[in-house]
Amino acid sequence: MGERQSDGGLHSRRRVHPDDSADGSRATIEPAGLEEYLGAALRAGAVDPAAEQRATDAFRVARDAGSHRARTRRRDDWRPREHRHMWRSVKTTAAMLVAGLTLGGVAVAAIGSVGSSDGRDDRHRQDASAGATDGASRGPSGKLSPSSGTGTHDRPDTAKDTLAHCRAYESVKGSGKALESTAWQRLVTAAGGEANVGAYCAEQLAAQSHEPGNSGNSGNTANPGNTAKSDKPKANTGNTGNAGNSGNTGNTAKPTNVAKPDASPNPGTKKK
Amino acid sequence: MGHGGEPRRTQAYDGELGAAVARAQDGDEAAFAVAYRLVQPGLLGYLRGLVGDDAEDVASDAWLEIARDLGRFKGDGAGFRGWTATIARHRALDHLRRQRVRPRASALEQDVLDLPGPQSTHDQALESLSTEYALELVRGLPRDQAEAVLLRVVVGLDGPASARVLGKRPGAVRTAAYRGLKRLARQLGGGAETDQGVTEDGPSTLGEST
Repeated sequence: MGERQSDGGLHSRRRVHPDDSADGSRATIEPAGLEEYLGAALRAGAVDPAAEQRATDAFRVARDAGSHRARTRRRDDWRPREHRHMWRSVKTTAAMLVAGLTLGGVAVAAIGSVGSSDGRDDRHRQDASAGATDGASRGPSGKLSPSSGTGTHDRPDTAKDTLAHCRAYESVKGSGKALESTAWQRLVTAAGGEANVGAYCAEQLAAQSHEPGNSGNSGNTANPGNTAKSDKPKANTGNTGNAGNSGNTGNTAKPTNVAKPDASPNPGTKKK
Repeated sequence: MGHGGEPRRTQAYDGELGAAVARAQDGDEAAFAVAYRLVQPGLLGYLRGLVGDDAEDVASDAWLEIARDLGRFKGDGAGFRGWTATIARHRALDHLRRQRVRPRASALEQDVLDLPGPQSTHDQALESLSTEYALELVRGLPRDQAEAVLLRVVVGLDGPASARVLGKRPGAVRTAAYRGLKRLARQLGGGAETDQGVTEDGPSTLGEST
């Protein structure tokens, strides 16, 4: 390698075109050999006792000054990756789970906030009284007495109608004329006013998708399940939030004390 | 050429290094010297690739910081190499920033100055030339490739550690290292040099004495 080496330090750098060795006639350096060569060549000649002494002196000074008691910053933590990665992924999973639930809860709550604050207060009152009347009202018949309030329609909405309209409500909301149709008007009436449709629908949809025993979700989710299915005797099997309520066949009218208690105050019929 | 999924690279002396660092953190000065000797060659080589001739000065700065912050470090021998490389890199970048104000000697001049003196032994002369040659090749690479190659072959860091030192994604660093090494292989094997004629067959291994 003498020739090459004696020239190595003196010749000017010249970029090699990629196709120089395309014909394959030139020997190529084996990757492992190359890396070893480079490593050895570049690490060579690093021994300098004076430099080592300076470094060791600095160490002593720092040690004696108590610098070595400083805390570990993130950039100083070089523990093996596996350990940190595993831990981090567990934390990440948990964090994301919590975040997801939080966002979901916020979203659901936000739907409810469409309603008036009165409604919310009333709901809370309902919840409180629901707890009180729980034992009483749950047991006997699970029948929900229809509210005397706004429940009067010519033809009560079927449960399916209500849910379908609820789902579509979000997209229809803004277009004023759409809400004037009869079907929509039924929904609006059931909810006790256009402003309450959002909350009403939230409960309807929530009741449909929640399991029984979700009555902890405020007495309202239980009720919608009841009311929604009230005129479908067979459908009562799907009565979410109202376990054991399948005997609810007798209710034809649709009690509306579900979402908007201010429209149809029925504290007594709080059913869980 | 190894790619990302390789197991964490450990050098032969990482166990010893990790133990020395731990003892040094407890106050053992001799242990610190052991750590120094194990780490300095890689550190200096890396710095040579970054700042060339000023590598010793920058290394000194780096060791001051390493010695001062030793208590903060947490990790094993391989981690210590990554941690010290990061410190060294910061010092190098600071140095380069300062240097932009001052004109630098051209690469050629520097090479001449670094030629082994008459009192060097033959082996030392060869070694020095070999270092210069390798250094010149590496410094001829694009910056990201040069750093990726240096961290890999000189400091001996694996992909993730290199990525952390450089503040880049592991995939990008892996690619840069691969490209850099490929280019170097071509240059070394395909006759990168010279204006003088190039032999058709480059040596298949380097380091043969003649």
